[in-house]
Amino acid sequence: MKKYLQVLKITFQQELAYRLNFIMWRVRNVMQVFLMFFLWDSVFSDSSRQFFGYNRSKMLTYIFGILIIKAIVFSSRTIELSGIISDGTLAQYLLKPINFFKYWFTADIASKILNLSFSFVETILLFLIFKPEIYFQSNPIYLLLFFISLLIAVLLFFAIVFLINMVSFWTPEAGWALPFLFIVIIGDFLSGSVFPLDIFSKSYQNIFYSLPFPYLVFFPLQIYLGKLSISVVINGMFISLGWLIILWFSMKYVWQRGLKKFSSEGI
Amino acid sequence: MKKKIKKYFKVWWLLSRNSFMSMLSNRFGSVLFLLGKLIRFFAYIFFIVALLKGTNSLAGYNLNQIIFFYLTFNLIDVTSQFLFREVYRFRVQIVEGTFDLVLSKPINALFRSLLGGADILDFITIPFLMIALFYVSRELNPEFFSILLYILLIINSLVISAAFHIFVLSLGIITLEVDHTVLIYRDLSNLGKFPIDIYKEPLKGFLTFIIPVGTMITFPAKALMGLVSVKTVLISFLIGGLFMFLSIKFWNYALTKYSSASS
Repeated sequence: MKKYLQVLKITFQQELAYRLNFIMWRVRNVMQVFLMFFLWDSVFSDSSRQFFGYNRSKMLTYIFGILIIKAIVFSSRTIELSGIISDGTLAQYLLKPINFFKYWFTADIASKILNLSFSFVETILLFLIFKPEIYFQSNPIYLLLFFISLLIAVLLFFAIVFLINMVSFWTPEAGWALPFLFIVIIGDFLSGSVFPLDIFSKSYQNIFYSLPFPYLVFFPLQIYLGKLSISVVINGMFISLGWLIILWFSMKYVWQRGLKKFSSEGI
Repeated sequence: MKKKIKKYFKVWWLLSRNSFMSMLSNRFGSVLFLLGKLIRFFAYIFFIVALLKGTNSLAGYNLNQIIFFYLTFNLIDVTSQFLFREVYRFRVQIVEGTFDLVLSKPINALFRSLLGGADILDFITIPFLMIALFYVSRELNPEFFSILLYILLIINSLVISAAFHIFVLSLGIITLEVDHTVLIYRDLSNLGKFPIDIYKEPLKGFLTFIIPVGTMITFPAKALMGLVSVKTVLISFLIGGLFMFLSIKFWNYALTKYSSASS
């Protein structure tokens, strides 16, 4: 436990060593919220209207929620794994008396804590500037389910990122491309972090719900907003847990196969 | 002058060909990168269609008009990336000191740093975007003069975009930070995916005059719809000229601050 606390400390120091980079990254996150905030603000210019089952306050809560949930779920150091495999520095990690999965998960937690603290400050600032109507969930059952779904989302994202980055064992020169495609593009859209997925028809939504991505952002936010019945939430939890088990075992399996393929020269 | 343009075009062609060859050496990655861009493009189209199906209009514009704004944004964004991709590789030159080699060559350093490596992956998508723009614009029934204004304002947008990229390069020389600055520029220009009419003051004014995303993206599209005044068009060109002038001044200033690393 002590050594993982050290990993946590070191990751904090690493993140803060490049302060300008980190601040710029946060600025970018806020910019992305700007577009969606004003877009939906324009749609709900008449605050009494409802679109896609959202009223003004629920939609603006969704947009602000993205900023916080993305900080919790998407903040990750594991995205560096592809580069570490490609340039061979993985060998250095393998020699250390430390569990490789726990090491990266701890580094992810450090990144999440840091990003979450900043996202709180940003949300408060944006809240003071725009003074949006925000929906507060007061039902303790929904709040409990929301936190459980967040925990599943964090583990799911870790497994997805780890799994996709391991493609570098087989294609080291293009190891960046698959994570870019799956995490930056597909993950961003299908997780509901660009727009809520329930603006699409029911048939599309059924397809989305059968994939692991909506359980990263969209599903937790739907629970928070109380838009799903308890039975639908439980059903969603089972699907996301199913995905978590599949991805977790796949991650372990691919890791073992990848290690057999791995070679590092001149390190 | 003609000889000089010919020389620079030849250099640009050679550099772009090299960039293309380098891309071919990593075909798998390039295909996935292109696929990612296409998915992002169509995901937004799906979103716009779904949104406007539910709301019928956005800030007073109908579905065709909003799609036209989005396509215009993409045309400017993709063309800028195609032309100015070298900016994304500039930081390494500054940090490692290889920018010395650019400065010592008998070619304009700004030209080399801004245009020295066109991105073929972006170029591939431009003809398709133009076809889509042509198809959608037919539904808007534009007059000949509006089309002419649209083309001129698109050129003006590319001038503003070039000016932004020159600012990024100059800041890179002074602060060694390029990657995030250029991505912040991209995020700002992303605010032009939808007409700037959706924003409230003072942000709307900020996006028109200070960071002229509106001038770059919304005004050309509005010109085609016959929704801009002569005064707005003149202001747009003035902003374009002013931004280019200031960016070149800043570049010249930044060069005086360059301290060659590792040499």
